[in-house]
Amino acid sequence: MEAASVVFSLGGLRITSTVVTTWGLLLTFGLSCWLATRRLSVDHPGLVQTALEGVVQSIEAAIEGVLPGRSGLLLPFIGTLWLFVAVANLTGIVPGLHAPTSDLSTTAALACLVFVSVHWFGIRSEGLKNYLRHYLVPSPILLPFHLLGEFSRTIALAMRLFGNIMSLEMAALLVLLVAGLLVPVPVLMLHIVEALVQAYIFGTLALIYIAGGMQSHAVENPEAPPIE
Amino acid sequence: MELDWTTFALEIINFLALIWILERFLSRPVLATLAERRAGIEATLNEARATEARALALQRQFESRLADWEREKAAARSQFDAQMAAEHARQMEGLNRDLATERQRNAAREAHRQETLQRELASQSGALARQFASALLTRLASPEIEARLLEIFVEELSALPEERLEPLRAGQNGHRQGVLRSAHPLSEEQRRQISGAVDARLGKLVHLDFVEDSGLRAGVRLSLGAWQLDLSLAGELGVFAEAGRLDH
Repeated sequence: MEAASVVFSLGGLRITSTVVTTWGLLLTFGLSCWLATRRLSVDHPGLVQTALEGVVQSIEAAIEGVLPGRSGLLLPFIGTLWLFVAVANLTGIVPGLHAPTSDLSTTAALACLVFVSVHWFGIRSEGLKNYLRHYLVPSPILLPFHLLGEFSRTIALAMRLFGNIMSLEMAALLVLLVAGLLVPVPVLMLHIVEALVQAYIFGTLALIYIAGGMQSHAVENPEAPPIE
Repeated sequence: MELDWTTFALEIINFLALIWILERFLSRPVLATLAERRAGIEATLNEARATEARALALQRQFESRLADWEREKAAARSQFDAQMAAEHARQMEGLNRDLATERQRNAAREAHRQETLQRELASQSGALARQFASALLTRLASPEIEARLLEIFVEELSALPEERLEPLRAGQNGHRQGVLRSAHPLSEEQRRQISGAVDARLGKLVHLDFVEDSGLRAGVRLSLGAWQLDLSLAGELGVFAEAGRLDH
């Protein structure tokens, strides 16, 4: 798999096709959401509005299932993560475009954001002292393992998504080169399923990591009531 | 597989921008719409609950009012029954009183009617008897009957109590003449017999004028002034008639 090509340079910054594609996705997201939510109806929702409400409510329900009462806080980050990863994964099946998530830079950026978010939401929820204390339980000896786990799961998050999407695109390309025109169709269908599954896995893992950070006090004191 | 730090940094920025875009143009308006709809549904539910509560309150109120009505109706019915019973008793008492009065009145009226009927029957019987006796005695009237009546007259004269004859004896000058009426002519023997009987009974001689009076039918009538001794059919029938007149 070749690295993302540089499309243009901007003040010494090399703008790759991944970034351009992401911009295109941002533009598409922004335009479509603006158009779809211009005239929302309370009493008579249309087909698109119903679909959007279904998506938002599904994400909200998933967050509520893991962290009851915290969906309002986590919905923007987790929802964006799910939608972006899913759409970015599916971009690979469009001829001439590469999925941004097939670029390690993108998946690493997302994994880093998840890493930062875990600590951000954890500290915000628990307080710095309480949050840092959970690295020392049940024993301070386990602190290196905690730290190693934090980094390794972030790297695994980035590598898992990158590896899966990159391999899917490569497999489709190889099949297209070796076989006829319509032979890659099943592979592309598999690409769709895999893209959605990987988006779900990435977002769910991020949600679970964040929930773990926000509920770290429960590990120390299982009797303590959940923090609102 | 290489990591481009520029792309890494730009992707982080891109993702943060996307968070803002989706939060601004997707989740916020959609959640606001959902919240508004939930609020509307909640308001509708609250309104429905309030309506239900009002309906239940009204139902309880109407049930209470219905129970009150039932109690009032039962009390009114009981009062009405009591009044009806009292009125019934009062009217029955009055009716019984009127009935007793009417019975007494009917009994008195019936007794009066029976008495009147008996009187009428007695009167009619007396009239029939007089009519019968008159017809019978008129047909039986004959010289033989008169002779027999004359004998009876003599016997009755002899049997008269002294107190009846006392007024005739008292006056020395009074009643020396008399009249003897008969329906048929009397023989000399009969005249002497009567004269002798009268003289003997009064103890003095009395001159008798013998007069025929067919109105007597049969028998004789002795008149000494105002004093009379009558033994004739006409006299007896006259007694009948007088008795009938007194009955009425």
